[in-house]
Amino acid sequence: MTDRIVEMKGVNKHFPLKTFGRYGEVVHAMDDVSISVNRGRIMAIVGESGSGKTTTANVISRLYTETAGQVLFEGKRLPQKMPRTEELEYRKRVQMIFQDPFSSLNPTHTIVNILSRPFVIHKLAKGKKALRKKVSDLLVQVGLEPPGQFLDKFPHELSGGQRQRVNVARTFAVNPELVLADEPSSMLDVSIRMSIMNMMLDFKDKEGITYLYITHDLAGARYMSSEIAVMYAGMIMETGDTETVIGHTFHPYTKLLKSAAPSPEKGLKRKKLTTKGDIPSLVNPPGGCRFHPRCPFVMEKCRSEVPAMKQVGQNHYARCFLEGGTL
Amino acid sequence: MGDNTILQVNQLSAGYDTKAGFVKAVDDVSFSLKKGAFLGIAGESGCGKSTLAYAIMNLLRDNGLIQSGSVSLNEAEISKLNRFKMKKIRWVDLSMVFQSAMNALNPVLKIGEQLTDAMHAHKTITRKDAERRARDVLELVDIKGDRYDSYPHQLSGGMKQRVMIAMALILQPDLIIMDEPTTALDVVVQRTIIEKIQELQRSFDFSIIFITHDLSLLVEISDQLAIMYAGRIVESGSSSEVFNNPLHPYTVGLMSAFPALTGPIRRMEGIEGKPPDLLNPPVGCRFAPRCKKAIPICSKEYPSRFNRSDAHYVNCHLFNETEGR
Repeated sequence: MTDRIVEMKGVNKHFPLKTFGRYGEVVHAMDDVSISVNRGRIMAIVGESGSGKTTTANVISRLYTETAGQVLFEGKRLPQKMPRTEELEYRKRVQMIFQDPFSSLNPTHTIVNILSRPFVIHKLAKGKKALRKKVSDLLVQVGLEPPGQFLDKFPHELSGGQRQRVNVARTFAVNPELVLADEPSSMLDVSIRMSIMNMMLDFKDKEGITYLYITHDLAGARYMSSEIAVMYAGMIMETGDTETVIGHTFHPYTKLLKSAAPSPEKGLKRKKLTTKGDIPSLVNPPGGCRFHPRCPFVMEKCRSEVPAMKQVGQNHYARCFLEGGTL
Repeated sequence: MGDNTILQVNQLSAGYDTKAGFVKAVDDVSFSLKKGAFLGIAGESGCGKSTLAYAIMNLLRDNGLIQSGSVSLNEAEISKLNRFKMKKIRWVDLSMVFQSAMNALNPVLKIGEQLTDAMHAHKTITRKDAERRARDVLELVDIKGDRYDSYPHQLSGGMKQRVMIAMALILQPDLIIMDEPTTALDVVVQRTIIEKIQELQRSFDFSIIFITHDLSLLVEISDQLAIMYAGRIVESGSSSEVFNNPLHPYTVGLMSAFPALTGPIRRMEGIEGKPPDLLNPPVGCRFAPRCKKAIPICSKEYPSRFNRSDAHYVNCHLFNETEGR
C-alpha cells in the first residue's frame, strides 16, 4: 500500500460574495478537486493566478475549511473544526511557506524573536539561552552563517533571499512532515531563486519531507516535482507524473501553458499562440468545461457537459473529451 | 556609425544623490541602437537597468541626475536639453512603457481621455481626430473601441498593459523603452503581449529597448542583448551569440538559473551572494566577490573590453588573460 499523507476527494470551496446586491452568489474557488500526495514526494500544483491553487493549500492547512468533499490526513478525515490541542499538533506537522518574503516577517521583531516563536508555541525549548542555541542551529541549516550575525537583526536589514531563508527556517523549525510551499521563489531575484529551490530539495532528501509545491512556472515545477496537477479556474485539468504530463501533454490547457513558457532554444521557430482570452470569472464560471471558451479544439459537448477525469495513460489523468489528446 | 543609428549612448553615468553619498546606479554605459532593432537589457534587481531607462528618457528627478556622458537621439544630443525642450520630444520621438501598468494609469480618468491627453499635449489636433486616432491605436493592441470609455479598474492586468503600449505608440515614436512590461503578468498573458509587441514592431518599424530580469525570455525575443551588473554592461552581443557562447561568468550564471521544460533534469546552481552596494562599489571587477572563477587581478582593476567578434564583447579578466598568453 502506498503511504498517502494527504488526500482530497471531490473538494469544493466556495466563497460567498458580500457585495451589496449580489448576496447568494458565490466564488467557485475550487470545484471537484481530488489529489493525493505520497509521503516523501513532491507534488506541484501549476496554474495561472486565480486558478485556485493557493486555496487548495489553504484548505489543506485548515486556514479555510472545505464547502463540500473530504480532506484526509493519513487516511483520517479532517473535521471542520478541530479541538485546540489537535489543531496545534496538526499545525506542527503541516507547515506553510508563503510567497512574499517581505510581508510575512514581522518588521518590529528581530530574527531570533521570529524564529523562537515556533519553539515556544510548540513547547520545544525553554529559556533564552536554549532558544538562542536552537535558533542558531536553524540558521546554520538554512545557510545563514555565521548565525551570530543574523540573530539580532531586523527583517529590513536582510536581502530578499535571506528573508526567504528565514521564512524557510521558520517552517522547518518544528520538523514538519508536510510543507505547503506557495510560490516560495517567485518574488525572488533570478540568481537566488535556484538556491532556495535547491535548499528545499536538500531538506526533502535529508528529512524525508513531503511538499505541495505551488507555482505558475511549469519549468520550475518540472525541476522540483515528481507529480503534477494543472489547475484552471478552480478545477484540476490534468494530473499525473511530471515527466508524462509535460512530455506527453494531453489537455489543451497544459499545452497552452507549455507553449507560453519562454524557451530560448525555440527562438524564431516558435508558433503563435492559438488561444486568446482571459481566465473566466469564477462567480459565473462557464458551463461545461471551464476551458471551452478559450479552447482551440472546442466541441459541442464541451459547452454543456463537465468532462470527467479520465485515465489517458499510466498514472496520467485529464479532464477532457478529446479522444487522442492534442498531439 | 551608419546613418540608420537611432540612439547613441556614450559613457553615460547616472545615479542618485543621497545623504550617504552618490549612488552610481549607471556607470560608464555605452551602446548604440539601429533603426528597427530590438535590444534587450537583462540583470537582477538593483543593477541599474531602470535608472538607465530613466536617464535615456531624461526623467531622473529630485535626487537623480546624469553625472556625465551623453545620449543622442537621431544625432541630436538630448541629455542636456532643459525640461521644456525635452518635453517637446518626449513621447513624440521616444516613449516609454512603465513597469507596473496597474499604477501607471490614472484611476479617475477614462482610458480614452488619457490617450487623447497625450496627443493634445503635443500637437494641435481636433478632439474628433484625437478620438479617432485613440480608437485606432486601441484596435491595434486588440482592445475593442467600446473600451474607450472604460476606467482602468474595469480592465484586466493584461488589458491595462496593452493600453500602456497603445499610449506609447500613439504619437508614432522612433524608440520605445519598455521597462519590465510583462513581469507582473501570467505566462499566457505575457506571451500574448510579447507577440503583439513583435507584430507592431514589424508593421511600424520602431526600435525597442526591452528591460527585464527574465533572460530566457529576452534571448528568445531580442536581436541584441546587453547584460548589466552593478551599473555596468558586462557583456553584450547578438542574442544568438550570447546564448550559444556566453562568456562572462555572470551571464553563464544567469543562463543556468532557469530550469528547462525539455531535456534531462540536472541540478542547477544559482549565483550565491548579492549584488554589491553601489554606494561603495568594490574596486576591480564588481562581480569578483561572487565569481567562482575569480583570479587575483579581478579584485584589483576593472577588466578592459575583450572583443570576441564585431558585435560580441565582454568585460572579464579571464579572457584578457587567455588572449595574452
